[in-house]
Amino acid sequence: MFKFKELSKPTQLCVAWLGLMMFFALFGPFLPIENWTFVYEDDLGVTPFSPGHILGTDNNGYDLLSSVISGTRMSVFIAVTAVGLGGLIGSALGITAAFVRGKVDLVLSTAFNVGLAIPNLVLALALVSVLATNVDMTEVVPIWRRVVVLVISLTIVLIPILGRIARGATLTWSGREFVTAARSMGMRDMQIIRKHIVPNVLPALIAVAFLAFGVVIIAEASLSLLGVGIPDGGSWGGMIARGRNDLEYSPHVLYIPVIFLAITVISTNQIGEVLRGRLDGRESKV
Amino acid sequence: MLKYGFWLQRVAQLFVVLLLVTFGVSLLIRIIPVDLATIVIPVGSETERAAFRTSIGLDKGPIGYYLQWLGNFVQGDMGLIYYSGGTETVSGHLIKAMPRSLLLMAYTQIFALGIAIPLGVLSAYRAGRRADRVISNTLFIFSSIPGFAIGLILIIFIGTNLAWLPTLGYATFSEGIWEHFKHMIMPVLSLSFGLIAQYTRLLRADMIASLREDYVTMAMSKGLSDRRILWRHVFRPSSVTLFTSAALSMGGLIGGAIVIESIFATYGVGFEIFAAIGGRQYIMLQSSVAVIALFYVFFNLVVDIGSGFVDPRTRDRRSNV
Repeated sequence: MFKFKELSKPTQLCVAWLGLMMFFALFGPFLPIENWTFVYEDDLGVTPFSPGHILGTDNNGYDLLSSVISGTRMSVFIAVTAVGLGGLIGSALGITAAFVRGKVDLVLSTAFNVGLAIPNLVLALALVSVLATNVDMTEVVPIWRRVVVLVISLTIVLIPILGRIARGATLTWSGREFVTAARSMGMRDMQIIRKHIVPNVLPALIAVAFLAFGVVIIAEASLSLLGVGIPDGGSWGGMIARGRNDLEYSPHVLYIPVIFLAITVISTNQIGEVLRGRLDGRESKV
Repeated sequence: MLKYGFWLQRVAQLFVVLLLVTFGVSLLIRIIPVDLATIVIPVGSETERAAFRTSIGLDKGPIGYYLQWLGNFVQGDMGLIYYSGGTETVSGHLIKAMPRSLLLMAYTQIFALGIAIPLGVLSAYRAGRRADRVISNTLFIFSSIPGFAIGLILIIFIGTNLAWLPTLGYATFSEGIWEHFKHMIMPVLSLSFGLIAQYTRLLRADMIASLREDYVTMAMSKGLSDRRILWRHVFRPSSVTLFTSAALSMGGLIGGAIVIESIFATYGVGFEIFAAIGGRQYIMLQSSVAVIALFYVFFNLVVDIGSGFVDPRTRDRRSNV
C-alpha cells in the first residue's frame, strides 16, 4: 500500500519510533538489562546520562531505562489489545447496523449514542472503578486483574466511537451501484460485506485506529495518574504517577515517561493523519 | 412546520438516550461485587443494613432501584455521601463543584479560541510559508502532549522553581478576582494547549479551502484589502466549523478536567468524581456521571440547534438525513 521511501522524513521517523516501541514491547524482557524492579541502592535519584544509567534512576533506585522499557510493554499491550478488540467489535457492529438497516440499525445506533453520551474518560473511569472493586478493601488488586479491567473498559469506550465511524463509512458504500449489482447477481450478504464493503471501509478504520491508539495511551496514563490504572511504575502512566511524587528534586523521573508517551502519541497521530489525508480528497489538497 | 417535527424527534431521541445512559450507570453500580450496605455501615447490625438497603431501593432489583433513584434524581435528591461521622448530600457537593468546573471549561475555551483564531488566520494567510510551517509543526507536537503532562511540567517550572503561582486549590471571586485567576491560570493552560492545536489546524484547513472559492477571487479583483477579505469573507464562513468543533471538544474537555482538577485540587466535578471513587461513594459516582451525561447531551443539542440558526446550510443537510 505504501512505500517507506515515499513517506516524508518526519513520517519515516514516526514509523521508526513505533517500530522501536514494538521492539521494546515484544523483546523487552530478553534485552540484556537488569529487571526494572532491581534497586540500585547506591544510585538513588541519579540524573540522566550518568554512567551505568543512561536515563538515570528515580529516588527509590529503580533504573529508568529498564522501567520505561517495561512500561512500554504494558502501555503498548493495553493500547494494542483495546484498539484491536474495540476495532473488531465496533466495526462488526457498525457494518452490521449500516448493512442490515431497520430495527437492528436503530438498536445499535442507540447503543452507540448511549456510549457516546458519557465523555470517554468519565466512562472509562466509572467502568474501571466498578470492575476493579475488591470485596475486601484492604486486599491489593493484583496487577493482571487491573490490566484485564483496563483493557475491557477501554475496549467498551472505543466500541461506540469506532462503531459509528464504521457505520457511517458502510452507509456511503452500501448504497453504491456495484453493491446493488453484486446483489442482483445473487451474491450473498456475507460475501458482499467481505468482498465489497470491508475493503472499502478498512482504510478509514485503520486511519482512525491509529488516532484511537494515541487516545487510549493517554487514557491509560490518565487513569493510572488518578490511581485506578496500573500502579507503581508498571506502565508509562504508572511511572508518571510515581514521578509526580518527587517533582521538585528529580523532575527527570517525570520527564522520561512523558517524553516516551508524547513521542508515541505524536507518531500514531502523524501516521493516522497521513493515512487519512490519502483518503480524504479535500484535506490532502490543503 | 416540518422543522419543528424534526427537532421534536431529536429531543425525544436524546431523552431515550439519557434514560438508557442513567439506567446503564445504575446497572453498573448494581454489578459491583461488593455489598453497598457493608461499605456504608461497616460496623453495624444486619437490621441497620437492611434498613439502608430499603432506603435507597437496593432490595428491589435493578429496575426498581433505578426507578427509585430516577424519581429522587428528578426531584433534585441525588443521594447521600456517607462518612463515618454522618452524611452529606450529593447535590450539595455538586452545586458547590459545578460552577468551578464550568468556569474552568469556559476560561479554557475562551483562551484556546483567543489564541487559535489569530494563529489559524495567520497560518492560512501564509500557507506553506515559514510562519505557517513553524506554527503548524509546533502545534502538532503540542497537540500530542497530554494535558496532565503539561500541567505537571508547569507545576515544576512556574509553581515550584519560580513560585509565581499557587499549585493547589481554588479561590472564589469573593476571595479576590486576582486570587481567583491566579489559581486558574495553570489548569487553564494545561487544558488549552491541545485545544489550541486542534482549533488552529481546523481553522487553517477550512480557511484555505474557503480561499479557493470564487467569491474570494471576485473580492480580490474588486481590490478589497487582504485584511478585509480574510476576516469578512473567509473567516466568517469558517468560524461556524470552528465553533461547532469547539462545542464537540467539550466531551474531551470534561474528561481532561477530571485529571487536571485532581492534579491542581480545584474541587470541581471531576475532583468530586475522583474523590467518590477513592472513597467508594458509589451513589455519588452514579449521580455525578448522570449529571455529566445530562450536561453533555443537552449541550450538544443546544449546539446543534444553534449552528442550525447561524448557518442555514447545516440545517438543511441535517434534516435530509
